[in-house]
Amino acid sequence: MNKIKYVYLLALIAVMFSCEDAYNIDQPGRLTADAAFQTVDDLELGLLAVYNQWDLTPEISLAANFCDEVAVGFDSGGQGFALYDFVMNAASASAFDFWVRNFRVNNRATLVLEAANLVDGSEDQDRYNNILAQLHFIRAYANFEMLLYFSPDPQDDSTLAVPVIDFVAPTDIQPSRDTTGALWDYINSDVSAALNLSTVQSDPRFVSTDAINALRARMALTRGNNPQAESLATQLLGTYGLANTTQYQNMWLDIDNTEVILKLERTLNDSYDGQVNTGSVNTGGGWAGSVFAFVTATLAGSPYFEMDRSVFDALDPADVRYDVNVAPTSIISPDYPNDPDPINNDILVIQKYPGSEGRPLMNDLKVFRASEMLLIAAEARARQGNLTGAATLIKQLRDARFGTAQPLPAYGSQQEAIGAILDERKIELVYEGHRYKDLKRSGVDGNRGVDRDPIACTLQSGACTLPASDYRFTLPIPVVEINANPGIAAQQNPGY
Amino acid sequence: MKLKLTWLLTLFMAFVMQFSFAQEKTVTGTVTTASDGLPLPGANVIVKGTSNGQQTDFDGKFSIKVNQGDILVVSYVGMQTQEVTVGTSNTYNVSLKEDNALEEVVVIGRITQTREKSNVSSVKLSEKSIKNRPNPSVVQTLNGQVAGVNITTNTGQPGANSTIQIRGIGSINGDTEPLFVIDGVPVDQDNFRSINPQEIASVEVLKDAGATAIYGNRGANGVIVLTTKRGNFEQDLQVNYNGFLAYSTLQDNDYNVMSSQELLRYERFRGQGAGAGNSTSVFNPGNGSPMTDAQIAEAPNFDWSEFFFRTGVTQNHTIQLSSGSKNFSQFTSFGYNDTQGILQDSDLQRFNVRNNLSGKSSNGKFTYNTNLSVNYSKSNEPNAIGTSGINRNFIIGAFESVPYVTAADYTTGGDLLSPLSFTNTPLFLLDRLRTYTRFEEEVKIVGGLNMGYEITDWLSANVTMGGDYNNNILTRAEGPTSFNALLFGGAENPTSGFQEQRSTRAFTYNQITSLNASKAFGKHTVGAAVYTEYFKAHFRQFGYFANGLNPSTFSPGDGSGLVQQAGGLFNDEADAEILNAGLFSVFGTVDYDFDTRYGFSASLRRDASSRFRDENQWGTFWSVSGRWNISNEAFMQGSIFNNLKLRASYGETGNQFITGTLFGGLDNTEDFFTSTGGYGNANSLALAQIGVSDLRWETITQTNIGIDFGLWNDRLRGNFDWYVKETSDLYQEGPVSATAGITSLDINTGTLFNRGIDYSVFYDVFTPKTENGFLMTVGFLGNYNETELQDLPNAEGEIISGGEFSAGLGRNGGQLYEYYGLRYVGVNPANGELLYLTADGNVTEQPSVGEDRVWLGKNAIPEWTGTFQLDLEFKGFFLTNQWAFATGVDRIDNDYASLVNPDDVGQFNLSRDILRAWSQPGDITDQPSPTAANRNSFASDRFMRSADFLRLRFASFGYRFPKSVLDGTGFTNVSVFVNAENAITFTEWRGYDPETRSITNAGGTTLRGYPTPKTFSFGVELGF
Repeated sequence: MNKIKYVYLLALIAVMFSCEDAYNIDQPGRLTADAAFQTVDDLELGLLAVYNQWDLTPEISLAANFCDEVAVGFDSGGQGFALYDFVMNAASASAFDFWVRNFRVNNRATLVLEAANLVDGSEDQDRYNNILAQLHFIRAYANFEMLLYFSPDPQDDSTLAVPVIDFVAPTDIQPSRDTTGALWDYINSDVSAALNLSTVQSDPRFVSTDAINALRARMALTRGNNPQAESLATQLLGTYGLANTTQYQNMWLDIDNTEVILKLERTLNDSYDGQVNTGSVNTGGGWAGSVFAFVTATLAGSPYFEMDRSVFDALDPADVRYDVNVAPTSIISPDYPNDPDPINNDILVIQKYPGSEGRPLMNDLKVFRASEMLLIAAEARARQGNLTGAATLIKQLRDARFGTAQPLPAYGSQQEAIGAILDERKIELVYEGHRYKDLKRSGVDGNRGVDRDPIACTLQSGACTLPASDYRFTLPIPVVEINANPGIAAQQNPGY
Repeated sequence: MKLKLTWLLTLFMAFVMQFSFAQEKTVTGTVTTASDGLPLPGANVIVKGTSNGQQTDFDGKFSIKVNQGDILVVSYVGMQTQEVTVGTSNTYNVSLKEDNALEEVVVIGRITQTREKSNVSSVKLSEKSIKNRPNPSVVQTLNGQVAGVNITTNTGQPGANSTIQIRGIGSINGDTEPLFVIDGVPVDQDNFRSINPQEIASVEVLKDAGATAIYGNRGANGVIVLTTKRGNFEQDLQVNYNGFLAYSTLQDNDYNVMSSQELLRYERFRGQGAGAGNSTSVFNPGNGSPMTDAQIAEAPNFDWSEFFFRTGVTQNHTIQLSSGSKNFSQFTSFGYNDTQGILQDSDLQRFNVRNNLSGKSSNGKFTYNTNLSVNYSKSNEPNAIGTSGINRNFIIGAFESVPYVTAADYTTGGDLLSPLSFTNTPLFLLDRLRTYTRFEEEVKIVGGLNMGYEITDWLSANVTMGGDYNNNILTRAEGPTSFNALLFGGAENPTSGFQEQRSTRAFTYNQITSLNASKAFGKHTVGAAVYTEYFKAHFRQFGYFANGLNPSTFSPGDGSGLVQQAGGLFNDEADAEILNAGLFSVFGTVDYDFDTRYGFSASLRRDASSRFRDENQWGTFWSVSGRWNISNEAFMQGSIFNNLKLRASYGETGNQFITGTLFGGLDNTEDFFTSTGGYGNANSLALAQIGVSDLRWETITQTNIGIDFGLWNDRLRGNFDWYVKETSDLYQEGPVSATAGITSLDINTGTLFNRGIDYSVFYDVFTPKTENGFLMTVGFLGNYNETELQDLPNAEGEIISGGEFSAGLGRNGGQLYEYYGLRYVGVNPANGELLYLTADGNVTEQPSVGEDRVWLGKNAIPEWTGTFQLDLEFKGFFLTNQWAFATGVDRIDNDYASLVNPDDVGQFNLSRDILRAWSQPGDITDQPSPTAANRNSFASDRFMRSADFLRLRFASFGYRFPKSVLDGTGFTNVSVFVNAENAITFTEWRGYDPETRSITNAGGTTLRGYPTPKTFSFGVELGF
């Protein structure tokens, strides 16, 4: 036997594999950062990803669960109990979500804006400019949201807001909070850039010049620039007008855009097509209706949150908002105050998000509507002392919602007017994520606070009222940030 | 079972007849070891000059046909071969002396050393410790058998993956499990459901750096070397059968849940639920008014736990054939296992074939071994276990359902839609049991070849090549008429439901090529070797998720029920993925021995991983180890010590499994964008990953000092080891300021220490004086381990993960996964509110989550774990007991928290404990008022409980039929046995199993999980 064959065999195997292919491996299908954005088309794809980070369901959830829009449902599985009891601290999901999500939007928008510097836009300048306008707008919107929720007083420039991050931050950054004034400057520069670059006047699904002006109106009211708020809002109200009752109902089925200035489209199979984290402000995105119910916006759809009686009692059955918000399957106790079993005999099912395209609970998220512009204008008028002007606008809104002429309200004082406007906002903008910031902005001036129906909240835990001056109307810096950025703990908001 | 056995026996008889020889004379005998007189199973008894031979049976007995004057050659690995000339006697008892040059061997990679010359900390388990255990996973049978090896299984699913950790937790985000090697082929550490434990001949656990250095890039957390059975050269055909039948049941709990009558009275008292007459569930006899005492008395009591759980029946059969000629031997094994889980719809069916061949050239210089195992398994595995989905998690149905709703209340899924009541939970799940399908089919093929050639008497070349292939196909379907499909379908989607299928394939290839030299110069022996190792892993996956099923044609796994897309509602999704990983190493070792008194070894290696870039790609690791065989010194001659050895080792090994899995974190060094679904479901280009360019090897530096001892000829034997493992450049989430767009990155940061001792001591209280005499052995083995964190990546030196009460990661100087949170102290007698401590120790009802949370000094990893063992043998009877214990472990009993949640009244069953809830000022109780304002406000340590336990992990009782009875039957070995796993448990833990915990979900919380069972089995083992 020729023994050398064994040596050949072993030697052959030893050289059979080159070693480099074992450790120099590139995974297939990876798109590196430098290859990602080459053309205006690429930027547009990048813009669509930034849009996709933009969500309103956390605001909807916080406003409903913390304030006086919902009561714990008969079919509750324990969702949102702690927040309903006004538990708010640095470890709360609300603080986490508003901080992390908005900084993520800020970061993603900035990334694409910086990439755009490297793309030649001259081939398609209008489109290029409009993409930049939308990116600036979305970034401004995110920073404005943080200003509203983390600044103890958005009208006091010296208070602390959040760090101004107008660049792609390195992962070892440990910034301190900047002042509210500095954050306003950042937001304003983005808004004016957007306004200068925008090439589309109106578009319900994408940011347009109208949407930019709607944001400016909201910003002006927040900052106390009432004349500008009134002028911008009035202008937009003139363009869009209020929906009639049919249009209004259709708007909530996503088949009418009469008074929609901007909405976020939610459609089948998009990344929001699913249940939210039920009962958490950190919704993770999902069907807006699943902030209130597990399955459908009907009695059988397992509504874990029901409409608070304080909302229901403010809705006139002749008002189209009653039809929109109260599901027909609701069980309404004929004598609620004396009902022996209000949990089971009075089930008010929320129907603002009934679903669309065949998918229950899935609806577009309305960012700006004409009616909000009307309410901004009304509040701006009231704050400027024009109480009659405010009342005229409120009548205009109620006329449209009832479909018949309603009496002209009379306000005896500015406080009364602002209070009445807050009450009107509570039913017009209910379940749209406004109540928390409305109370924070105007609750003290209008003498309003969280004021839940006493029967439902007493049955739950006794957490029924909370004054608008409470420290919890400003969110704490979340634990997740303090873990990474310990220095910011010394700048925690008052009360936490 | 009975029928099958009869069939098998017939088959065996045929074999025996087929292979009979013309009988001339049969001699019998027993082969024992000289040192302790114990029978020696598996020794070769061959008639010299022929191929006629056999192996001794379990009792060391043989029976062989010979002619007078023949010479019997009796041999065994590690023993001196003896020759016996056959005379007139028919009985020959042979006692083999241990061959000093060839005592028990230690297999460390390609190096095989005698136990005496080994410098390292390793433990070997024989076949006896593994076989016939009523557990389909070989890994789970190792539990409690090796000091320092901690095995946690957090589900009762048959064959489920366990987490194995040797000497504590070596990493935070990275891999913490040892490398598993079967016959030289590294295999997937998370998949053992397809491997038949009955094929394993031995398991060697390598613990210290000296031992694992040879596996360098994957052995940082220890190595477990499994060796399967082989035939011997010159061995007659041997046939073995063993089979067992096992019954598994749910372990007990101490939650003390209410009967229907108690629950309904409580509901009436609370004014909610059927007892108060206001339930929307199927059971509401009060119908608007509170139930009367008579109505309550009539309410049915249904045991949902008995409905969703069952007695799981397992059967296992293995047939093994081995034989060998002069230059060739083979081992063939065929196994079938059918294990029913205790949960409905949970099972494992497995089919294995193994073929191991060995051969050599006629001059013995060239040797080769092949091994090939082909395994197919199919398992039904319910998912959504541990979730809060009352329509998905069967465990909620079993443990929390109200007893007054019965299975007879179920009609159809559709009927449950309205009114939709939480109280109907068990019916939703009953519907799911009938309409939901989820099973996995898996083909696993492990094959390898190793070849060696002795170039000269001191130099040899070796190569080992092996592959591990897994193909897993998941099928999952939710039927169109199911409650869940209808629930989320809605009126516009009458053909809801879905079907998903997913094929996952992984192939890994490993090759080690080496040149080994060893030469003795007088009393000096010097060895050296150089190696290269090549490793490549490939992952392929694809699948579809089809929405919409036609009820008239739907059948799970078949495509005829799939409906076409309609307006996007029945959108089908397809996906596919390719991943590749690789490693390359070069390394060398040197060994030196002087007179079997002193020994020294060293290794040095360079490893490259595909996970890293540039200068971080290659890591350098090394180890040194030494020993002093004190018992071999002249001054020890004549002492009671037959063995006394001092060992020490020190070395570094590397870990590159950043996320703990083979295919996780493959290119975390890079920044990526990805094409994905964006706004309005349009395509978009999104940031996918922010890279960490300086990612590098995680390094474990281990110091080990150990002592091995044997007294009075090993009557007392054992070892102690002291170790310190320091993991530096830990893979963990480094928190990142959210202002950078993310909140954490997996980076190399921080240091983790594991310090502890391993001990194992065995003592033969009685040794048999005669054959079949009384043997009694007691054993104690265990481990103490403490963890300490250092250099955590933030200024505070502590990482608190998430919520109000959690297992934080820990703090500098503290233990890993230490609990952090509010301290609950009891119920305020004045008002029934919950009371907590502030950071300063003052009592408050409204603690500040920001300031009052503290580190609690407790965690979910036990400090002491171990086993007491008792083995008895007498006249063929044998009894084994293994008692396992763990101390210093705390877990959150979320299941109990759920059962005393006053807000669940009317929807779920509750513990009787809630009946003593506070109701009026002055009440002193542990249960708060059901309307306490702060009852939902704070998470705290209220439900943290000690999960220390002592349990009879394993017990076995059996009988081996004596030779005399078997004579003439053709059997060489017949034994019967009864086994029990987890039969008795002593613990303060109130839940089903103190050991079911999740380590990965840091903090060991448990909620609505699938408990591990207790199992009784009986079986038979037959040899020919």
